[in-house]
Amino acid sequence: MRIRVTLILVAVVFLCAFLFLPLAIVFIEAFRKGLFVFMSAFSDPDALAAIRLTLLVAAIAVPFNAIFGVAAAWTIAKFNFRGKNFLLTLIDLPFSISPVISGLVYVLLFGAQGWFGHWLKAHNVEIIFAVPGIVLATIFVTFPFVAREIIPLMQAQGTSEEEAALTLGASGWHTFLHVTLPNIKWALLYGVLLCNARAMGEFGAVSVVSGHIRGKTDTVPLHIEVLYNDYNFTAAFAVATLLASLGLVTLLLKSILEWKFADNLAATHHR
Amino acid sequence: MSVSVTVRNLEKTFNQFSALRGISLEVNSGELVALLGPSGSGKTTLLRCIAGLEYQNNGSVFFGDINADQLSLRERRIGFVFQQYALFKHMNVADNIAFGLRAKRRAIRPTESAIRLRVEELLNLIQLSGLELRYPSQLSGGQRQRVALARALAIEPRVLLLDEPFGALDAKVRKDLRRWLRELHARTGHTTLFVTHDQDEAFELADRVAILNNGLIEQIGTPSQILGYPKTKFIADFVDGINLKPLKAENIRNNVIELRATSSPQG
Amino acid sequence: MSINIIRRSFSLGLAAVTFAAMLATAPQAFADSSLLNVSYDPTRELYKSINAAFAADWKTKTGETITINQSHGGSGKQARAVIDGLKADVVTLALAGDIDAIAEKAKLLPADWATRLPHNSTPFSSTIVFLVHKGNPKAIKDWGDLAGQGLEVITPNPKTSGGARWNFLAAWAWANKAYGGDEAKTKEYITNLYKNVPVLDTGARGSTTTFAQRGIGDVLISWESDAFLALDEFGADKFEIIVPSISIAAETPVAVIDENAKANGNEKLAKAYLDYLFAPAAQKIAAHQHYRPSDPSAADPADLAKLPKIELVNINDAFGGWAKAQKTYFSDGGVFDLLYKPRS
Repeated sequence: MRIRVTLILVAVVFLCAFLFLPLAIVFIEAFRKGLFVFMSAFSDPDALAAIRLTLLVAAIAVPFNAIFGVAAAWTIAKFNFRGKNFLLTLIDLPFSISPVISGLVYVLLFGAQGWFGHWLKAHNVEIIFAVPGIVLATIFVTFPFVAREIIPLMQAQGTSEEEAALTLGASGWHTFLHVTLPNIKWALLYGVLLCNARAMGEFGAVSVVSGHIRGKTDTVPLHIEVLYNDYNFTAAFAVATLLASLGLVTLLLKSILEWKFADNLAATHHR
Repeated sequence: MSVSVTVRNLEKTFNQFSALRGISLEVNSGELVALLGPSGSGKTTLLRCIAGLEYQNNGSVFFGDINADQLSLRERRIGFVFQQYALFKHMNVADNIAFGLRAKRRAIRPTESAIRLRVEELLNLIQLSGLELRYPSQLSGGQRQRVALARALAIEPRVLLLDEPFGALDAKVRKDLRRWLRELHARTGHTTLFVTHDQDEAFELADRVAILNNGLIEQIGTPSQILGYPKTKFIADFVDGINLKPLKAENIRNNVIELRATSSPQG
Repeated sequence: MSINIIRRSFSLGLAAVTFAAMLATAPQAFADSSLLNVSYDPTRELYKSINAAFAADWKTKTGETITINQSHGGSGKQARAVIDGLKADVVTLALAGDIDAIAEKAKLLPADWATRLPHNSTPFSSTIVFLVHKGNPKAIKDWGDLAGQGLEVITPNPKTSGGARWNFLAAWAWANKAYGGDEAKTKEYITNLYKNVPVLDTGARGSTTTFAQRGIGDVLISWESDAFLALDEFGADKFEIIVPSISIAAETPVAVIDENAKANGNEKLAKAYLDYLFAPAAQKIAAHQHYRPSDPSAADPADLAKLPKIELVNINDAFGGWAKAQKTYFSDGGVFDLLYKPRS
């Protein structure tokens, strides 16, 4: 009994110190100099440009990863083929290597001295230190989120509903749209949510390929670093509240989904 | 509308394992045949090859005169009932049954009112009228089994294939459903193959029983033929202890041909 | 039912994409042309002021509205980015060696770039001093004190930061003089100094925030200009500057990256921009922000009076120029790699 209380206490203290306190500090620091200073952080054109860029990057990377995540999960869960485990490992790759390394790989590929550097320069295509590079790096680091969320679910659900649909004369697309997708929709949404949070918050990989041009290639996390290093602490924390709020909203939606999702899963086990 | 099924020299291997090693089988139009055998004998693989859910390495399947190998899964138009039913769990009973009709190409898709009529008719057939808005999770095992059957019948299949149709049910429900299925078959007259590992079930229900072992058919014949003259020691051991009076298939058949004339689902 | 949800979320997604695209293409501050200045870490405030002055000057002279985009980071890292394809029209870096690297590795400008502008293309320079907590609680007076035990010294990573390399060489110059040219003793001193460094930031400004904002360390080895700025920002009641007996003349050169400027159609603008850095107006701004102007006559005497008199060694005289110093001390397997052991 005493051990249980102690353990709970330790956990609560730990959570407060390492999760709640930093979050609280972000908001306290942001509003330290009042609402006006807080708001003025968002009228800075560089801040607006960073927000625009982050939204654009997420608007490309998240749908891309949703589509390819579903495709990859479908392939892995519904078919048996040689190299399946290798593909699974490959999907996890972005989780297991440092984001900075992922960014550097793109520099090595598309940088001026990289493998495709001459070709890109000859054709006047800008990837590194421009928006395409930031999008690519973000897609890379956020790729596993959707696929990882769906694969176990698809594997657990098996292929019999799809097989049933096919024997009933449905086309592959009809089967996907009316049988597969409804069965994974909550998991898909969950994955998209996490993918989006990471896409908007990614620092390491984006930092390497961004070039840090203010108002042009700085995303919100990079802009926060710029403000911090400009001794502009209040503005840094003000912009940071955006990411913190995104995190909180994600957490909230995630909890709602988990609750709803569990319900949804329970139905399949009910007999 | 039912057609005969001919299987010629079917072979199927998974990796190194030979699941089917040259199976030939003739099922007459309107016949009810059981594929019986211990687990791993290849009976389910045979059923899935006929359905087109697996591709054989060798041999062919014919529906009547049509070589089924040239038909895609959707063109085969077989009614397959899965062991765990594989009902669409996010659709209610009516939508489950209507699925195959709604999935048809626009040109040949029935109107929504025709679909609704057909669903009603099938609900009547499986005696579940009034439950059309239930979800699969809200049904008993036996009810799910019947919904799966209605869903398969909705597309007016050439043949009906059932994989362990009573496997997931308890003994009492099993008995009732067995009788009900026999009657239903008699009434609709679909060429039907079903897989089972239960000897009683096979001999009580089927017109003919094919006993599989190790990817081969060891013997095929009417229940009395097999019980009277087991061909091999394996068969003799396998059917040892079975002692039953098969349902009088001929009698029921005679009854029901009249029934078919009056309430044919194709009509 | 499900299909409705899918349709709805699809159209929602479409709306989000459209919205983002609208934001992304929303009219940017309209400008006739724009110039990218890739600079080192602590020049943020300096170029903010100079860019505003230059843009106004350019507008009155030509009628054109221009935007000058800035990128800041450790000098070595920034040079690497330009080599890898960052489309800088001009670079304003912490040391000549980094611009040499761009000329050598990417061939974007000629090797003799330094001769194209006065003072070896250095419009203003700085030097290296110490920043300590108010009252100097650890009694740090000169370079020798930094190698003492139980002290935490903050300096950035010489591999990525230009200021860090000046810091290293200034310490070396002092030790070389203090130990009468005994290289073994000098190396021992440097080893002990870097044993006191808990973390190497990638840029000088990162080190300054580590020391001044996060409160880590007893002494920051810093650009003179950044040390003064820290006093302005955080309050002269919190920190004070310690001037060592000897330091290094930290020349921070500038250059047009010819190939990029040509590709961007910015040759004329880029040259005018760098010329402006040598002009009295920019010199005055630089002196006001605690840089050492190449033309002191244009500066406010009050600003000049704040800059302490220090004995300064020169990179060419003391170390044989940047090409040699870079190779000896900072290349892979060089002296720094041999002496520095990261804390585990």
